Amino acid sequence: MLSYLIRRLGLMVLTLFGISIIIFTLLRVVPGNIVDVLFDAAGFVDPADKLKIEQDLGLDKSIPVQYATWIGGLLRGDLGYSYVSEKPALAEILPRIPITARLAALALLFAVSLGVPLGVISAVRQDTKLDYTLRVFSLAGLSLPAFWLGLLILMAAVALFGSIPIYSAAPKTWFDSLVMYAVPAAAVGLRSSALIMRLTRSSMLEVLRQDYIRTARSKGASDRTVNYGHALQNAMLPIVTVIGVEAAFLIGGLIVTETVFNIPGVARFLVEAIRWRDYPIVQNLVMFIAVIVVLSNFIVDLLYAVLDPRIKLAD
Amino acid sequence: MTGKRIALVAGLWLASGVLPAFAQKQGGVLTMYHRDSPASASIHEEATYSNNVAFMAIFNNLVMFKQDVPQNSVDSIVPDLATSWAWSADNTKLTFKLRDGVTWHDGKPFTSADVKCTFDMLMGKSTNKFRKNPRKSWYDNVVDVTTNGDGEATFNLKRPQPALISLLASGYTPIYPCHASAADMRTKPIGTGPFKFVEFKINESIKLVRNPTYWKKGLPYLDGIDFTIIPNRSTAILAFIAGKFDMTFPTEVTVQLMKDIKGQAPQAVCKFESSNVNTNLIVNRDAPPFDNLSIRRAMAMAIDRKSFISILFEGQADEGGALLPPPAGIWGLPQEQLQTIPGYGPDVKKNRDEARKLMEAVGYSADKRLKVKVSARNIPVYRDPAVILIDQLKEIYIDGELDVVETANWFSKVARKDYMIGLNLTGNAVDDPDQAFYENFACGSERNYTNYCNKDLEKDFDVQSQETDLAKRRALAWAIDKKLQEDVARPVIFYSRYGSCWQSHVKGVTVMVNSSYNGYRYEDVWLDK
Amino acid sequence: MKPRPEIILPSIDIEAELAKAGANTQGRWGELRFFARRYLLGTIGLVIMIVFVLAALLAPWIATFDPLAVNARHALAPPNAIHWLGADSFGRDVYSRIIYGARISLAVGIGSTLLGGTLGVAIGLTSGYLAGWVDLLFQRLIDILQALPLLVLALVMAAALGPSLQNTIFAIAIPLVPTVARVIRANTLALRELPFIEAAKAAGMSEMRIALRHVLPNTLAPLIVLATAQFGSAILTEASLSFLGLGIPEPHPSWGRMLSESAAEYVRTAPWLVIFPGLAISLIVFGTNLLGDALRDILDPRQRA
Repeated sequence: MLSYLIRRLGLMVLTLFGISIIIFTLLRVVPGNIVDVLFDAAGFVDPADKLKIEQDLGLDKSIPVQYATWIGGLLRGDLGYSYVSEKPALAEILPRIPITARLAALALLFAVSLGVPLGVISAVRQDTKLDYTLRVFSLAGLSLPAFWLGLLILMAAVALFGSIPIYSAAPKTWFDSLVMYAVPAAAVGLRSSALIMRLTRSSMLEVLRQDYIRTARSKGASDRTVNYGHALQNAMLPIVTVIGVEAAFLIGGLIVTETVFNIPGVARFLVEAIRWRDYPIVQNLVMFIAVIVVLSNFIVDLLYAVLDPRIKLAD
Repeated sequence: MTGKRIALVAGLWLASGVLPAFAQKQGGVLTMYHRDSPASASIHEEATYSNNVAFMAIFNNLVMFKQDVPQNSVDSIVPDLATSWAWSADNTKLTFKLRDGVTWHDGKPFTSADVKCTFDMLMGKSTNKFRKNPRKSWYDNVVDVTTNGDGEATFNLKRPQPALISLLASGYTPIYPCHASAADMRTKPIGTGPFKFVEFKINESIKLVRNPTYWKKGLPYLDGIDFTIIPNRSTAILAFIAGKFDMTFPTEVTVQLMKDIKGQAPQAVCKFESSNVNTNLIVNRDAPPFDNLSIRRAMAMAIDRKSFISILFEGQADEGGALLPPPAGIWGLPQEQLQTIPGYGPDVKKNRDEARKLMEAVGYSADKRLKVKVSARNIPVYRDPAVILIDQLKEIYIDGELDVVETANWFSKVARKDYMIGLNLTGNAVDDPDQAFYENFACGSERNYTNYCNKDLEKDFDVQSQETDLAKRRALAWAIDKKLQEDVARPVIFYSRYGSCWQSHVKGVTVMVNSSYNGYRYEDVWLDK
Repeated sequence: MKPRPEIILPSIDIEAELAKAGANTQGRWGELRFFARRYLLGTIGLVIMIVFVLAALLAPWIATFDPLAVNARHALAPPNAIHWLGADSFGRDVYSRIIYGARISLAVGIGSTLLGGTLGVAIGLTSGYLAGWVDLLFQRLIDILQALPLLVLALVMAAALGPSLQNTIFAIAIPLVPTVARVIRANTLALRELPFIEAAKAAGMSEMRIALRHVLPNTLAPLIVLATAQFGSAILTEASLSFLGLGIPEPHPSWGRMLSESAAEYVRTAPWLVIFPGLAISLIVFGTNLLGDALRDILDPRQRA
């Protein structure tokens, strides 16, 4: 167990190290840098000023030196300064995280509370019209681009209510913020709910076919007890997995949805930072996302072992 | 002559500004959406009106364009931190008497030293350096700024330049304090103006709050201004229609969106005005085949300006030369003169016939077509006209392919002359020939993207610049403008017009018609709620 | 230890499977008819895909306008007899642009899936078959690529490479590699131990030949299932990238680009510019998903209902 944990942690560090190199190199390949963007509106780039700014930001140093500076700072907890705002990168990133986290949590909540029950119903009523309809709907849910769904919601909201659920000022109360995040959360969550529903259905089906379920049934347990008591409990395992993995991967949907609904979260911030060539922000944000993904994979694996005693944590 | 004008202007200003004689109401926070996240809060370091709209209200200038007069001109310049100004007899010294008892937002007193500091920085003479200094060339003719006690500052010029006072009146020319570093001014600017800076969260919001000790008694009326940054124009307009904002971002609403606002929120007040931004064609005149004047001229003649204006503005935009045409503009060529320039006449078919002849003369035909790349920045205002241009160039045997360039790479590409044909936007902060000619057409200027260089014409630039008689100067400017268009220096396709809207309870807003950089002091805006 | 199950599928004999399912495979169209009835949704998906492929191939003949032709008089025309799906702000025909857009979407879908798939197969096969330090190295590479969500990696790559069709395909293909590589590797590992591989080895076949001749064909089933899923997500990712302004640039009629432009200006004033390109994206992905589901049912007996 312990050796497994150590091995996993080692691999995680190795993965993160690899990501740091890749993201760092990719960013340096991007044509144009922050100075070009800063000069953009001026209508020209002053070579002397450009050089001066590059020196100030350390962009004139060699790539390995820049990398070492970044990683060295990161290990000390110093993320550097945003090129654009000239504030510490941490101060720019941190306040935006709760916004995105709240949105992601709501989206996940939406996805689970819609996906799991529908998946169970679909499995229990396998091959009925209801099952077919639900399956088609879930496939349709997987096929809608999140931003298009968001746009349709915006269009509908304006047509129906004359108002739109977009961020125009920081919400003052808890209720305000729930109202503001609910619609975009549903737009992101729909896709995940479809995924969760499909997975719930297939794991339920698998479990329902197994011997002990048949035994329970033969012993006279009611359908309800069997379906929801035994089967669902056992089907939870893969469901937990997909929820865990999906939580980290929601970020893709969040990027476009935050853009559509103008939510000042960390996902949209990433896109803006890429556009601005604000390396300290992009690098650290990507690392942050990678840490979340790697950690949630790790937690899912651990949870798996806890939920299923047959799995032992050894390689 | 000058003394009389000052008296007149000062009188006007006294009548309207200092004594609020109407039923203006105090209080309320003005909410507005902002089109993008400015690169910093420092007006002097940036070159987009995104900064002026958000931060001009923090500052004062020496003089300013009177905020409730839509057309900026020398006659609409009023005192600000300077109480009066006077030219020396030889027109090479401009002296300002400064206002007494003005304090910066942090309580320190404002003096002539601050004026000197500001312009020393702009001229690159100070140890406190700007990171970027995009308008340094505005002061090429200024030798230095000298002070006489705390209450007087003088600009010493190399030669007479009557336009200097207009440059000083622009929203681009606020006075900065000596005691704040350039870096501080980018992140937490300090001014003497009606509003104080509270916070700027990039990509999210900008907040200003009323300066309770503003030197204009009783002003400003508003308690503060909140900007929410919404880059998506459609979303922003929806939010405005839904009543979430008091005002749209100024001069950014397209014809189509304004129709939508008028339909959905009929009570809103909208103005649709020119903002002195023109869309023009830049041609790499150093690279073959465009080193051939015939091909450049053929392209200029193939442009159907009416068609651009009808597609992009439903007919509501202007044709002009290098200077904004009247009535919005003061210096531009009148329509009857404009129409005589090759390519401008109303007979597009005839123009294109001639253009095709020019092309045929250098060996192109329907079978032997010229393939070109048309570069445009990856922003709709650049890209959209490029799409139309490509369509029009087909008529004269030119097959264009759109080459979309990311913002971060655009100017370095243009500077490297790594383009064939490009679509460019030129915004003029001050409606004055000096600004337009020197910046865009003088040999060696950084913004002279095409490297058009005509030494003889440049002498004419200087002649008009020194001319103090307005009518004479205008005639000189017309002649230069006409020559520039005939030389295909940088063919101007159109002057755009955009809308600004505000809810009916917002009062005291004036949209300026010949610049979108100078009208955002907001001190006399009030809410009738 | 890999707690999450990899898809390990044996090769299957479709004829036999069909027979077992009681299909009447007599006659020319027998199989097809049976397939259509047994996998109705899959057939619908297949038909949708065929329609889009035909649209892409026959674009010059079925489009009513040049997709790039500007026409001032028809700017923002709502859907009508001339412009079936309306016209955009330049008066370009939306229907024709969507038809030509199918070429781009399919190019991205096929291109990225093929490229990602090829790289993934190469890595997976080598990794699974050669084992040892090569395996270890590739495994770490896969870990790294897999630790970043598809869109995030594609975003950074698209920014690094610049906007163009080829670059977009590449930017989307790379994040697709790890899943393919993992599935192929797991299958290869399982197959390696099977008797017929041992036999081939004993017969003196080279490692490379065994991998290509025997291992690869036997991993086709999961590969096809996976490719269908990836095809759909490639198209969705392209749409997202273009929507964010980092994908395929104007004037090419990419559906995502069309949406991004109209989303910025015409959500209310010209809703057809938002609805139809979005519908096209959704429909093609929906078709892929339906088809993919059916393929999984056919190729993976374990999952079959």
